[in-house]
Parts: sequence; structure tokens; C-alpha cells
Amino acid sequence: MKTLVPGTLDGIDGLVRCERFDRPALGERISELTHTVYSHDQVYGEYCTIHRHIACPPLELFRYLQDPYSLLEWTYSVRALRPVPGDDELLVGVDAASTPIYVKTVSHEDALTVDYHCAWDQGRELWMIYLYRIVPAELVLKRPGSVVIWTNCRHPYYAKNPFPELDSDPQRTWVGEWWPLFYGGHSVELDNLKAIVEHRAVRGIPLGPRLLEAP
Amino acid sequence: MTPLSLLGVASSLPEEIVPNDFFGPNVAEHRGMFTAPHERRHLRRDQTASALIAGAAERLITKLDLERARDIDLLFTNVALPDQAFTGCGAEVARMLGIRPRRVIDLHNTGCVSFVTMLDLAGVLLRESGARGALLCCAQTAGGRVFAQEGVRHEAHAPVPGDGAGVGYVALSELSPVLSVVTRCQPEFASDMVAEASDGRRYWEPGTSPITLKFTEQRVAAIMHRGNAVVPEMVTEACTAAGVRARELELLVTNQPNPIFLRNWREALELPREKHHDTFDRYGNLFGAAIPINLEDALAAGKLPGGGLVALGGFSHAGDYAAAAVLDWRRS
Repeated sequence: MKTLVPGTLDGIDGLVRCERFDRPALGERISELTHTVYSHDQVYGEYCTIHRHIACPPLELFRYLQDPYSLLEWTYSVRALRPVPGDDELLVGVDAASTPIYVKTVSHEDALTVDYHCAWDQGRELWMIYLYRIVPAELVLKRPGSVVIWTNCRHPYYAKNPFPELDSDPQRTWVGEWWPLFYGGHSVELDNLKAIVEHRAVRGIPLGPRLLEAP
Repeated sequence: MTPLSLLGVASSLPEEIVPNDFFGPNVAEHRGMFTAPHERRHLRRDQTASALIAGAAERLITKLDLERARDIDLLFTNVALPDQAFTGCGAEVARMLGIRPRRVIDLHNTGCVSFVTMLDLAGVLLRESGARGALLCCAQTAGGRVFAQEGVRHEAHAPVPGDGAGVGYVALSELSPVLSVVTRCQPEFASDMVAEASDGRRYWEPGTSPITLKFTEQRVAAIMHRGNAVVPEMVTEACTAAGVRARELELLVTNQPNPIFLRNWREALELPREKHHDTFDRYGNLFGAAIPINLEDALAAGKLPGGGLVALGGFSHAGDYAAAAVLDWRRS
């Protein structure tokens, strides 16, 4: 058994622990925090997290996500990815028709996490970070397949393009303008991912991505 | 202090019914912001907003048995695209109705929520002047005047608006008291809706390309986001000011830009569909005329057999104004 060093939490305000909040006091607190309806902003204002069950073994799904060229298949608009000369880890493609998008994939097989570190226009500061965690559905839902959890955090650059001089198209809408629609947009893409992966997994064919060399 | 009461509403729709195929093929398949109604009405070129308003007002005068010279001291109008540049429709409406109100106010702003703005202003003016009653007149004319034009009617948003006029009569009375009115101006959205022509000319400059109404492309997501949130916020605020809860509302009547906003507003207020009455599928986006037209339609549909709490709410343009009111409807 372990116990805490006496006084170790002293001076930290706002903690809710059973020694100072009995059950009725906790009940008051959590019922106050529980609403029937939450506004879109309360749920998706600063962090946008969505999740799906995908009928595909976790490790296979991980390998598919780990390959950044899979983005060509399941994203709405990331296309034409190619390596950036002189950088082994960085790819560049186009997003939203003609915007350069830079992508670096950071993955950890033990944790089943795949993170795409991205940015529009430049590859030096990758601030649009798409975080994915795969959880074996057997563990959390007692059913086969994977649970995918996808989170974006509202980086301050979403509010204002930090490199306006790199934007050659005055008509372009800055990516951050779409933050209020990220829940919808990301849901569409996660459904694409689910449809593609399940289509192939159910038929027992390799997940892909299916790629050709292009000029 | 005698409260302001909304004593009745009446509407008038142009007779010309415009089906979806007028706007091109597959219009009914649009979803989201550009969901097309099944049909809508358009004003013809030779029809005026003033006449449409006067038609609705005549019905209301008859319905409420108003004595014109005695009962109507104040006349408000809001017309999406008025019959004439410069003059507004108020005096012409007064001429058609044969009335000489002490004050005529052609309200230029607050479009889709102008009916609630008029309620607010009428309360102040009637109390201060000791006047007897006010006609609140809202007309939407952009359907026939803008969105039926060649070069505009094939645009994705052209099928959504429809024309119509709705008129309310208010007086200081205990009969159907207005319990609260809240209004808000959001200047950050002031320049996000524009009337523009494809050749870049100003609307007063000569040219051949038609004028259309648009949201600035960059702001579409922000406008939708704001629109989703602001109407439930205002209705909740109006309920709080009236000392009631949104869930106690018997009827919610709003402007009707598209079915997505309507769905999101009633979901946020936790109201079942049948308590949020709209006429979108028949009449389209009626701009400011929607609130009085929908209220009359709800009453005609028997939505308030025993009276009850009614909330009126909406926002205008790209979100520059928002407002809501709660009234205790007691009239059969």
C-alpha cells in the first residue's frame, strides 16, 4: 500500500476529493455540472474530439493510418502528396484545391497513436496537429475491431494566419475560419476512413493505401 | 403600468406560386443552408410591397374591428427591397389604408427580426406619446425582385427566399401582454452580407448584371455558427426577462432562413418540433415577414387553442441584429 506524503496537496485550491467533499457535497457539485443540453461551443469550442468504432483489427488500422499516403484516400481534400527534398519525414501535397499542405507523421505502435503534424503554406512550423488514438474495441467495448479517437486542439494560428505573406490567393478562406465546422468536416472524413477500411477488412483484402507513382 | 399587447396578426402572400424547376434541375436535392422549400411565392414586377402590406393590414383591421382614424396612431414598415429608392413604403401604405398616423417609421434595419424590433419600439413610443395603437408591417420582396432575375435564379441560394407580408397590431392593453423584449446589435457581423453584381459595380451604378445578396465567402462558417447560437441565446434571455423557462413555451415562432437553423434552434431550446411552427416548405425564407406570417399560420392551425406563452425570435442578415420577445397569448 502507498499513501500520500502528509500535506503534499496543501496550497492547491479547487480540488474535489472525498476527504473534504462528502457524497452529498459531490452530488451537488456534479449535478450542477450536468446539463441536458450543451452548446456547440461548449463541446467543440476549444477542442474537437470525435470517435468511431471501425470493424478492423487495431494493428492493421494502425498500419493504414501510419502511412501518410492513406490521407489521399480518406481525407476530403489532401491530394498529390510527395516527399519534400532534403527532409526524410516531411511530405507536401495540396489541400483545398491549391493550398500547399505539409505533413509529418509521428506514430507510436505500442500506444497505437498516429499524429499528423501539418501546416498550410510552410513546413517549418507544423501547428495543425491531428491526434489519433486507436483502442482495441475488445478491451473497451467487448467487441471485435477498433475504437478511433481523433482530437484537434484550437491552436491560436487558427484565429489568424501567422504567415500571410505565403498566401498567394487573396480569395482563399483561411483554414481557421472553418473551425466552427470542424465537427462536421471531421465526421465526414472519419466516416470515409471507416467506410474504406471496413470495405477492405470485411473482404479480407489488404487495407492499402492503393498507390501509383505519378509524375 | 398597462402592458403592450399584441392583439392580432394577419398576412398576405403573392398569388404567384413558383415551383422548384424555375430555378433549374435537381433543386430539391440541395441540403443544408440551401435546402429548397417545396415552393415559394414571388412578387411580380407590377406588384408592390405597399399593396401586399395593405392587403394584410385590411384583413387585420377587419378581424380586429379597428376604427382607422382612432386606433392607428403609429405605423411601422420594414421592406426587404422597397418599392422606390429613397422614400420607403410607409406613406404609401397609409394612403392605401386611408389612415393618417401621427408617426410613420420605415425601419431600414433589423430585416429578419424587424417585427420584434417594432414591438420593442412600439412599446416605448405608445407609452411616451399616449397613442392608441400601432401597425407593425413586415414585407419580404427579394424573391421576385432579386432571386427571380436571369443570372441569379440559377444560383444555389436563389430557390430559398420567398415573398410575403405580415402585419401585427399592438396597443397598450392587458389582453395579450408582451412580457419581455430583448434586442442585440452585433457590429462585427455588419459587413458580412453584401448586395453585389458579378461585374463589381455598386448597386446604384448602371450596368446589365443583376444584383444578388450574398454572405462573404470567408465568413460563411462564422455566420452559421453565430446563427446557430444567437437565436436560442436571445429566446432564453427573453424567457429569463419574462420570468419563465423556455420549456414552458407553448409556441416558438422565428424567422426561417433554412431548415438547419430551425432544427438547431428548437433542439437548443429543447422544444419539440410541433411547438416550433414554420412555413418554410410552403413559403421559403420570408425574411422579416416570417414571424407575423408564421404566427398567424400557427394560430390558424390551432396551435394555441387555450392561449399560452409564445416566444418570437430571430436574427437578421449575417447576424448584425438579433432579438426575441415573450408574450402571453390569451386571445382565441
